[in-house]
This record gives sequence, C-alpha cells and structure tokens, in this order.
Amino acid sequence: MEIFGVTDILLGRALGGAELRQRVIAGNIANVNTPGFRRSDVPFQQSLRDALASGDPARVGAARPQVVQDATTALRADGNNVDVDAEMARLAETQLLHGAVAGLLRDRIAMLRYVINEGRR
Amino acid sequence: MGLFDALRVSASGLAAERLRLDVIAGNLANANSTSGPDGQPFRKRMVVLQEAPAESGAVSGGVRVAAIADDPSPPRRVYDPSHPDADEQGYVTLPNVNPVGEMVDMIGASRAYEANVTAMKAAKDMALRTLDLLR
Repeated sequence: MEIFGVTDILLGRALGGAELRQRVIAGNIANVNTPGFRRSDVPFQQSLRDALASGDPARVGAARPQVVQDATTALRADGNNVDVDAEMARLAETQLLHGAVAGLLRDRIAMLRYVINEGRR
Repeated sequence: MGLFDALRVSASGLAAERLRLDVIAGNLANANSTSGPDGQPFRKRMVVLQEAPAESGAVSGGVRVAAIADDPSPPRRVYDPSHPDADEQGYVTLPNVNPVGEMVDMIGASRAYEANVTAMKAAKDMALRTLDLLR
C-alpha cells in the first residue's frame, strides 16, 4: 500500500490551487485602478473534481490549476473589470478553503505519525 | 511558491496606491499655486498605472507605475488685477486642479490601499497555516 493515497495528493493539489488563486486575486486587487486591466481567476476545483472522479492518483497528481482571464463581466469606462467587493468575497472564500484543506492535511499527517509510532504518543 | 508571490503582488499594490495618495496630496497642496520653480502655474499630476509583467508563467506580477504625467487640461483663468502674478489684461492663471475631484480620487486610493492590506494579511495567514503543516 502507498503511504500517500489519492486523498493526500488531492489535498496537496487543493492547497496549491488555493495559494495560486490567492495570488491571482491579490493581482486583481493590486490592479483595481489600472486602466485596461482584465481580472483573472483560478477555477481549479472543477478540474480537481473531474480528476478525483477517475479515482486515479496519477490523474489527481497531474491536475494543474489554470489561470483564466475573465472577459465576460461588465467593463468600467477605463476598460477595467475588477469589482473590489467581489474580489474580497473570493479572497475570504479562498482563505477559508485553504484553512479547511490545511486542517485536513494536518490531521492526515498526525494520523500517519501515530501509525508510524505504532500507536505510541 | 504562490504565497510569497501573493505578498509581493499586494506590496506592489500598496506602493502604487500610496504614490497616488502622495501625488493627490501634492495636487491639493498646490491647488492655488500660481507660479512654480519654472515660473509657470502648477499643473495637476496623475499617476499612470500599468499591470506588471509576470516573472514566470501567465500570472500577473502585480502593478507598477508607468509614469507620473501632467494633466493636459487647460488651466483656470481668473480676473484679479491686484494679484502679483496677473498678466497685462489682469487675469491670473490658476492650476487645473479640481479639489473636489482630488478628494474623490483620494478616497478611492485610500480604499484600494486598504483592500491590498487585507489581501496581504490573508496571504500571510495562509502561509503561516501552510508552515504549520511542518510542525
């Protein structure tokens, strides 16, 4: 049996995806007053979900978060489509998701450590 | 990888918004300056922001200041023959600064600064949580 199963790989990927998304949102917020700037996002949860459905650790490990530019939302007069309120909501969402994934990963590692110590604390 | 980059991206936003506040403060302070070092009336300055190129990959590298440009709009002309800087017809050339517009821009820059602070704090908290996994 593998020490790190599909769940651990998935959690690691989700953590990396949340970090990338945080960076992209920080970039959107930093450019809130840049004329012509188009916001981007990282819709990585869907690709992870598809990879997880296959149950193949290699596919989960290969799932890469993608940065996608958002050209659909309404533009301001200066060609910028960053909505600060929406970005702050996404920021909170990403932070909470990251916290949840980090917590799960920490519990998994603690469990693994417990097993390696043969149940001794 | 990502989280330290996120801190840098937010830091670039903080620097850009603070520069905007500095320039706005300069515009407000000189809203009535009829002559500068070159003898000309003060001209409103504007910060031109630009998306910073990413160091690697397609992710934004934050924001950078492309230029601090003079507003090309014409200066105000006011009839005040007793003013030392009045011309032969008695008109004084005043800066093209609109204090109300500057105040609005100042509030916008200040709010954007706060948003960058929040994004930076979030990145820092997330980085600390990730580092907690090592303990």
